[in-house]
Order: sequence, then C-alpha cells, then structure tokens
Amino acid sequence: MADDTAATTLVPEKVIHTYPLIRHSDMSEEMRVEAVELSVTACEKFSHNNELAARMVKESMDKKFGPAFHVVVGESYGFEVTYECTNMCYMYFGGNQAICIWKCS
Amino acid sequence: MAPKKKDIGAASRAKIGDDEALDWLKPRTLIKPDDQEDVPEADLEEEVGRILTTINSQWIADEVAYHYGKGMFVTKPKPTFGKAYPLYIHQGTAIRKDSDEAKAQIAAGYGMVGFDDAGPKRVKIKKTKTEEEEEEEPEPDQPAADEAKGEDDHAAEEEKPAEPEPEKGAAEEQKPGEEGEATEEKGEGEVGEEAQEVEQEEDDNLDQILAESFVIKPRVKKLANQFNFCERAALTYNYPRRSVDTQTVPPPRANYGATALQCIIFDYYQEDYARKMKEKEDEKPKRLRKKKAKHAKTEQQIHDEKLAQRIREAWAILERLVNQNIYDDIAQDYRYWDDPSDEFREGMGSLLPLWKFQFDPMRSHAVCDVQWNPHYQDLFAVAYGSLDFTCQQKVGCLCLYSIKNPAYPEYAVITESPVICLDVYKEIPYLICVGLYDGNVCVYNAQLSLESQYQYKSNSVRDKHSNIVWEIRWGRRLIDGEPSFFSISGDGRVVQWAVMPGELQATTIITLTSNVPPIPGPDGTMLTVNSCGSCICFHPEKTEIFMVGTEDGMIHTCSLKYNRNYVRSIQGHHMPVYRINYNKYNNSIYASCSGDWRVKIWEDGRDEPLFMFELGSPVGDVKWAPYSSTVFAACTADGKVYVYDLNVDKYRPICVQAVVSKKTKKLSRLDFNSKLPVIVCGDTKGTCHVLKLSPNLRVMCKPPKKAQGIDQRTLQIMKLDKLLSLVRDPPFQTGVVDEKFEDD
Repeated sequence: MADDTAATTLVPEKVIHTYPLIRHSDMSEEMRVEAVELSVTACEKFSHNNELAARMVKESMDKKFGPAFHVVVGESYGFEVTYECTNMCYMYFGGNQAICIWKCS
Repeated sequence: MAPKKKDIGAASRAKIGDDEALDWLKPRTLIKPDDQEDVPEADLEEEVGRILTTINSQWIADEVAYHYGKGMFVTKPKPTFGKAYPLYIHQGTAIRKDSDEAKAQIAAGYGMVGFDDAGPKRVKIKKTKTEEEEEEEPEPDQPAADEAKGEDDHAAEEEKPAEPEPEKGAAEEQKPGEEGEATEEKGEGEVGEEAQEVEQEEDDNLDQILAESFVIKPRVKKLANQFNFCERAALTYNYPRRSVDTQTVPPPRANYGATALQCIIFDYYQEDYARKMKEKEDEKPKRLRKKKAKHAKTEQQIHDEKLAQRIREAWAILERLVNQNIYDDIAQDYRYWDDPSDEFREGMGSLLPLWKFQFDPMRSHAVCDVQWNPHYQDLFAVAYGSLDFTCQQKVGCLCLYSIKNPAYPEYAVITESPVICLDVYKEIPYLICVGLYDGNVCVYNAQLSLESQYQYKSNSVRDKHSNIVWEIRWGRRLIDGEPSFFSISGDGRVVQWAVMPGELQATTIITLTSNVPPIPGPDGTMLTVNSCGSCICFHPEKTEIFMVGTEDGMIHTCSLKYNRNYVRSIQGHHMPVYRINYNKYNNSIYASCSGDWRVKIWEDGRDEPLFMFELGSPVGDVKWAPYSSTVFAACTADGKVYVYDLNVDKYRPICVQAVVSKKTKKLSRLDFNSKLPVIVCGDTKGTCHVLKLSPNLRVMCKPPKKAQGIDQRTLQIMKLDKLLSLVRDPPFQTGVVDEKFEDD
C-alpha cells in the first residue's frame, strides 16, 4: 500500500497536460466547442507562430459567427477586455498557452 | 361554258397521258357512263377558244314581272346604274374625306383620326385609292388573256375568282377590293420604306412601321363618341412626409480581465486534473459511494464505533466462554468419544448427534443449503430459505455458524428473498455467493459490517434469473483475474457472473433445451420450453466441463465452449435431480440423487449407473466423503441420513440414522467437513444438526504389507479402482440394482 500511495503522489508531477482547458467562457455550447476546436487546430498548425495561430482563429470565427472577433494567443500576458455577452472564451492549451477569444464590434 | 370546261379538262387529261408518256397509264381504259355522247376524236382534239364579250349573255333585256296593283304584267324598270343590282343599301357613317361635310368637320377640329388605331393606314389607302382606281380598270381584261394561256400561272388563277365579274360595278367592287389592295399596298409600302423587312407580314409590326411614317401628322382631338375612349387623369393628395427614428438597445457587454502566466496555467491544469480524478471516483457505483459516505464520519463517531466494536468482540468472547461451559460435554464427545459398539458391529457404524444450530428469526425457514467453510474447519454457512413453495417466506437469511458457539451465528444477514443456495469461495473464504428465490444472485462479504448487506448483487431488471436459482458454484478466475461464479436456475439458463469492480456481469453459458415441442402462445407465437435446471456440478479437473441436472431427471454434461449443445445427455432419474457430486478421488465417478428416491453412482461415458440405491424417500442431498473414495452420505425427506461404504457393502448402507422426526421435519442438505469427522445436515425447520461419524464410517485404508510407503490418497484410488473393476467386469446385473435394502 505504501508503494502505491508513493506512486500516486509522484505521478501527477510528471504528467504534462496538453488538453484544451477552458478557464472562463460564457459562449453557447456549440460556439464554445467550435472555438476550442479551432484554437486547438490553429495552435497545433502554427505551434511556433502565435500570431498566425491567432489570425487563423480570428478569421475562422469571423466567418462562422459574424465579424469582429478578437483573439490573443500567448504564453504570458494580461488583459482587460470589454466583450459582447455570450461571446467570450478564455482557455488554456498545450499546458503553456493561453488563448483569449472575444467579440466586440 | 360548262361543257367547254369539261372538254378542256378532258383534253388536258389526255395531254397528260400523251405528253408524259406514262406507260403504266396506257392499259387503263377510262370508265364512261353508258349514255355518254360519242364524240369523234377529231372533235375532241379541236381547240375551242374562250371568248369574253362585253355583252352579258345572261342579261335579260326586258324583264317582265306581274304587277299586283295593276293586275297585269309590266316590264321591270331598268336599274339606272348600269349592270349592278343594289341588293342592300346601308347608310354608313363614313364620309369621304374630301367631301364638303368632312372638310367642315375638319375645320371644326374633329375628324382627324389618331395614330392609335388603323387610322393612318386608312388615310393612306384613301389617298392612294383614287390613283389606283384608274390602274384597276384594265385588270379585268388581263385574266381573260391569262386564262387563254392555260394553267401555267397559278397565281393568276387564284386571283380569278375575285376578279372575273367586274360587271357588278365600281361602287360594289370597292369594298372587297379595298382589302386586297390594302395588303398589296402594305407590301408596296414595305418595299418602298424598309427593304430589309419585306418578308415581315405581321400586322403589328406593320402598324408600327406605318405609324413611324406618319409621325408628321399633329395629334388632334378625338371625336368624342361611344367608340372612342376618353383619357382622364386625377392627382391624389400627397401626404406630407416626416421621419421617426428609434434606437435599439445595444447588445449587452461585459468586462473580463485575467493574467496569463505559466504558473497560473500550470496551477489551473493541476486543479482541473485533480477535479477530473475526483469525478472519476464519483462515477463508481452508488453503492460503493454510499459506503464511502458512511466512512466519512467525524472523529467522535469513529471513536465510538471502534469502542462499540471492541465491546462487541469482548461480548463475543464472553459468549463463547459461557457456551463452552454449557456445551462442555458435547465438545468432549466431539473430540474424544468414539462409539465403542463399533468394534462389535462388523462394518456398521453410527452417527453421534452433537450440536444443533438454530437462529431464532429463522425458525420457520428451511435450511436450503449448508456448506463447511473450506478454510476454517469449525465454520459453516447456512442458507435459510423455504422449500414450501405454496407458502413462501418473504425474507431469507445467510448465516455463518461456528461450532465454538452453537447459540448464535457468527454472521447473519437477512436477505430480501429466501436464500436457496450458496457457495463459499475457496480462494477468498469470506466471499459467499448466494442464489435467491427471486432469481437474483448476490455476493456477500462476511468481513463487512452487517449494515452493508451484500457486496454485489445482480441487476434485478437486466440480467437476473427469471426463476429460482437452484445452485450456485464459484468457478475459476477469468482471464483478467476477476472471480466468477455460475448459477443454474429454473428458467433453464446457466449464467456465468463475473465479479467486476462494483457490479456483476452476466453471461449466459447455456440455455437448457428440452424435447417438448414449442407450445403456441396466447398471441400465436410459439414458445419454446426450456427444461428447468436444478443442480450444477463442475468437473474437478476439466474446468470447462460441468454437469447439469434438470427437473425432468436428465443429467447433461455440458461444456463452457458450447452454448447450445450438450456433450452428453443421459436420462438419470425420473424426478428432479437434486444433487450431482463428483468423487473426490476418481474424476470419472459421480453420484446423483433425485426426488425419485434413488441415489445413483455413475461413471463418465456410461449410460447405465454403476450402482443404484433406493432410499424409500426423496433424496435431498448426496455427498462423497472427503476422506474415503468409497464412502458417501445421503439425506432423505423422511429425516434419515444414510452412509454407504461401497468397499464394505455394495448394496446396503453401513449406517442409517434418523436425525429428525419424519412427521414434522425433512432433511434437506448435508455436507462433510473436510478435516473433521463430522457432517452437518439441515432440516426444513431451520435447524442444522452436526453429527459425528463413528469409527466404522471413517475407516482408512491399510497399506498392504508389500508396499508400506504408499500414501493414503493412492490407496484410496486403488481401493476404488479395485471396486470398479469388480462392478465393471461382469456385465451389468440388473438384480444388483433392483435389490432393496431392508427397512429398519
């Protein structure tokens, strides 16, 4: 039993989480799923270029849900934004990237 | 004129014949009416010229008519207008344009026709008419000339009917002529004005074209009459305009701010992971969660419980101490007393009754199954159910008794339904699976507190049996290491239950088919009838082979690998088979007992039993002794326990002992203790009797002088083999089987 507990305490430190994790979102279910999927695709496609990733997400979101989305992709930044309600999603991805998507026209 | 024409026709026909020299026409003779005048060829050939004169041959110079007034014939007055007859005169509204009246009207501002109707065309026609009338006059002569020429010109001929009678006079001729001329005129006009549109004859187009050519004419006021339309116009009142604005509420907005830092992201991931882990735990079945919730108690409660547990343990020890004193003599007997009379009774033995175990709430229940614990020699499990199916009990009970404490069970748990069968797991002796009267199966963990009840239970909705579970047996572990057990039920199914974490997973191993043809159901469907399984027994070595007894007396040998077919099938009994038990030393020998009063000893692959014993009452149970290959015991419904030793007596029991009064109680099940020389048997009034086997019932083999080192097991096998060879070698003697033992 002692070995087991030791193993379980050790394991979580090693685990690197890469799954998309929503920190804050007031989007509708459908929109959120879409946003998460887009972000994942974009960040995987442009893993070394956050700017391109953000652009891709922004453009796709504009196309799907109407214009004036704003997207920030980065590893460390702070923000304070005004957004149209039900159009905000702040999420983490890949364990080190924060993606903020909001709409404001 | 008519005969002339005919002549011409005939001539032309002849001409066609000659000129074109059509051979195929020659043989044809013209059919003539009989009274046709014969005209000589020469006359026919003669050409007759058509002569038109100015004199009308039809004209009657002096027509006479009867005058009724005068009462005499008078000559009709000659019409003053030459040769035309006015048949009908109608005073029209049209007036000649250049008449005085028309001029007066034009001067007054009326009369000029608008461009919209056929006016302009008519105007033009009228204009040209005067000129054309002169041209028209020589025309009537022309057709005459044309006609003389023959039928060359079809166009000329077409015109003929319109023109040939010019005698009617100019006034009459004008009207029909007008149209003809008009069309001609159109044609001319087109040619003259726009060469490229010669072929267009559609009136609309023409009108337009013509209209264009008369644009010069000033539009004049129309003559107001019933045929002319009047255009009137009115202007409605224009309302003044004004603008109204409104503004929608702007979509709601909100503010959000956060800081993304590696540490924050990491922390949040950790938090989420922990949450997920917790959720996973929560997904475990409710029952387990409940248990956990129970454990989550305050320190005080835990302390109290521990204290209570300690006190309970102390009381249990105290109870045992007291019981040891009370039952001291029995305990002494159990250990040391051997019936001395055995020495004088050659081969016969007896059973010494020791303790009786009863559980007060279960006085009215029957002991449906009893089994010694394979690990603790002093412990046995009892299933309390009911065998009175007309008056079935509502609850059942699973009890564990220790012979150290005959007063009260070590473990007792009330079940929702009568318990019919049980089996203790050899690997984990505190796990007991039970089969219930309602078709459910449960696994009880004797280590858990009583409140927790069962540890696993089959799903009552999804996969429980639809009939009584008659026997339940632990099997070997599955490939994944889960324990599994098998149950057989009256619904004809053998089901394997895998003990998964938190649940039992059912797999139907075999459905027992019967020979009964399908019975038509109430709605026309055919219902197949399964035979009802009543007992199951696994082969000690071949784990996939098992035997199934049914209520119609069949004993089927089945394999886990086939779910439809039996490996072997024999008609073992005539009543339900209550128990099949393999010999502990020889895997091909097994015993079966049935409601048809008989116990039979079988050998695998043989359709006839090796031995058959009739006990004079339904036999509830038969078990081979663990210590000897030839000893087995059976208990009957008339309250007796029979012990046989085939080595001593092949036909009669070496011990028959009435354990309970046959009037009120029946013996249902019995079991040999694996280590101690005792058996336990249960009756239908909830009492378990522990009996000690006298020395004659447990005689061990003496090794022969030649081979002293042989161990007991080999000796037992040899003993049985020797016995079997005796039975097998001479062909089966029916007399042996039929012989009944003496009633005592």
